[in-house]
Amino acid sequence: MAEIQLRNVGKRWGSFVGVDNFDLTIKDREFLVLLGPSGCGKTTTMRMVAGLEDVSDGEILIDGQCVNDLDPKDRDVAMVFQSYALYPNMNVYENIRFPLKVRGIDPAEHDERVMKAADMVELREFLHRKPAELSGGQRQRVALARAIVRKPKVFLMDEPLSNLDAKLRVSTRAQIKNLSHELAVTTIYVTHDQIEAMTLADRVVVMKKGVVQQLGSPTDIYDKPANTFVASFIGSPAMNLIDGSVKNGAFTAEYTEITDIDLPEGPVTLGFRAEDATIAVTGQGQINAPVYAMELLGDATMISVRIGGALVSVKADKSFRVEIGETISISVPSEICHLFADKTGERIGD
Amino acid sequence: MSSKAFKQPASLRALSIGFMAFWLLLAAFPFLWTLWGSFKVELDFFSKADWTDALTGARTVAEKGTAFTGAGYEGAWVQEEFWRSVINTSIVCFCVVVTSLTIGTLGGYALSRSTYRYTFWLLIIALIFRAMPPITLVSGYLLPFFAWNLWGVLPTTIIVLVAINQPFTLWMLHSFFQKIPKELDESAKVDGCSQFQAFRHVIIPVMWPGVVTTGLFSFLLAYNDFAVTSMLLSKDNQTMVPKIASFLGTTQTEGNVMFAVASVVSATAPLFVLVMVFQRQIVSGLTAGAVKG
Repeated sequence: MAEIQLRNVGKRWGSFVGVDNFDLTIKDREFLVLLGPSGCGKTTTMRMVAGLEDVSDGEILIDGQCVNDLDPKDRDVAMVFQSYALYPNMNVYENIRFPLKVRGIDPAEHDERVMKAADMVELREFLHRKPAELSGGQRQRVALARAIVRKPKVFLMDEPLSNLDAKLRVSTRAQIKNLSHELAVTTIYVTHDQIEAMTLADRVVVMKKGVVQQLGSPTDIYDKPANTFVASFIGSPAMNLIDGSVKNGAFTAEYTEITDIDLPEGPVTLGFRAEDATIAVTGQGQINAPVYAMELLGDATMISVRIGGALVSVKADKSFRVEIGETISISVPSEICHLFADKTGERIGD
Repeated sequence: MSSKAFKQPASLRALSIGFMAFWLLLAAFPFLWTLWGSFKVELDFFSKADWTDALTGARTVAEKGTAFTGAGYEGAWVQEEFWRSVINTSIVCFCVVVTSLTIGTLGGYALSRSTYRYTFWLLIIALIFRAMPPITLVSGYLLPFFAWNLWGVLPTTIIVLVAINQPFTLWMLHSFFQKIPKELDESAKVDGCSQFQAFRHVIIPVMWPGVVTTGLFSFLLAYNDFAVTSMLLSKDNQTMVPKIASFLGTTQTEGNVMFAVASVVSATAPLFVLVMVFQRQIVSGLTAGAVKG
């Protein structure tokens, strides 16, 4: 049970800035996801919390205690690595027991705790196998069991699902969600997969090049992206972004004219989500453009058009069919539009 | 091998098996010849009249009454006290292997986990020292060793052999440690280990194949060394290789050359056993399954 505070934390290697001025309080029992493309500083941030990386600026507090100068072992955190990092010479039982052993916990308790942890991740029948004899999913569960066996203050998970195949990823994700609910331990979870972030997180931090772009609940981040980077990173497909300009209360771009835009004249980036827009009767929509591609998704049909070089997608009914090249009309009322400043990409208004 | 991709016509198979057999024979011949000849007398093994004497042992029969004689072994081991050299070699090899592995393991681990750039240059310097012929170092050592009265004894030789060996062991163990993922150390540290405990509980158990292989190479270097041991050891402290050389150097007395031949066989046999015993460790990679393959 712990609150983690990161006070203006930074990480520099020479002149390279890995993480810049990261300031955040993670509440007790919160599940926080650090999300961003590779090289954005999310793993570095987590490794600083773990104590595997020195902090260049600022300080990290766990339960009000500054841990900057503490070794990893003294921070009472548990970590799940992307590569699992199981001890190859020990069997599953010994792997899970290892943290108890090195921390000098009463040996009488070991068996019960290892069994309990193994049961939570459904590993009981594999206890005597070596890591080499396990599948990827099983190995990842051993790593999870090794983390939960000790009841640490903080869980750290570094892309734990990224080495699993797509199907296993979904089931293990559900397992992690369930575990985190059951154990109620403060968790920091690093991923580049926005779906993992959306499904698991209480709050999400979106990072880019070491700088926090947005902090909020998954719904906040999905519904009100703070800038074009977040907008284009979250959601599948990502938010449609069209560069154009506002004149006399109307947004215009190639094939596009959207009225009721309450902004002064000038260039602006307009965004909307594929599922918010609809197909309109020919000539009645705000976008009238030739179809670039039609993709069948099973539960819906995705129609794409090209506007000023950018691909704009709309989700239509699953039975909707159209020929490529045919002109289609898309309804994009101003209520579903997000507006971003031209140069900075910052969100304008709510 | 039975898969289609490896299917060969019968003629090619016969040819390759034949070639392998020929190559094996060629490679093993010097040793087999020496082994056979070591049970003959000198005039047979080095016969000028008829080389088949070495096979049939005509003189051996004439002199000793049987086609095989242990005279060479008896002379070397009992008369010339070859066993002293065996003990000396054992001491030298043991000390060299233990010392260079201890330094090499700790140093190699430290270098492989270091994030500083000078580690690269340290290793390059080590490689340069490794490339130098040992004799160039020995000539420089001789004078101070005489002056400080260190010449001729085993400890001096051990230190010099370790010095020559160390760059290689360091380099080899460093590359073994680099193959052990850093996440293992990190995981151990988060689980509650200090740096040393992580090394002790997590790294040592998975590093054995590397240590055994490196240890074997460093053993062979000490075991086979001639340049250093022949220059730095007095006659009483000779190890096997210079001792064998000294047998060969005294051709005036008949039979001495056979002492050398018998000693060569005695010195070679343990190597076979050694490689047989450790072949599994040499080949195996224990880290399989540690991380996603």
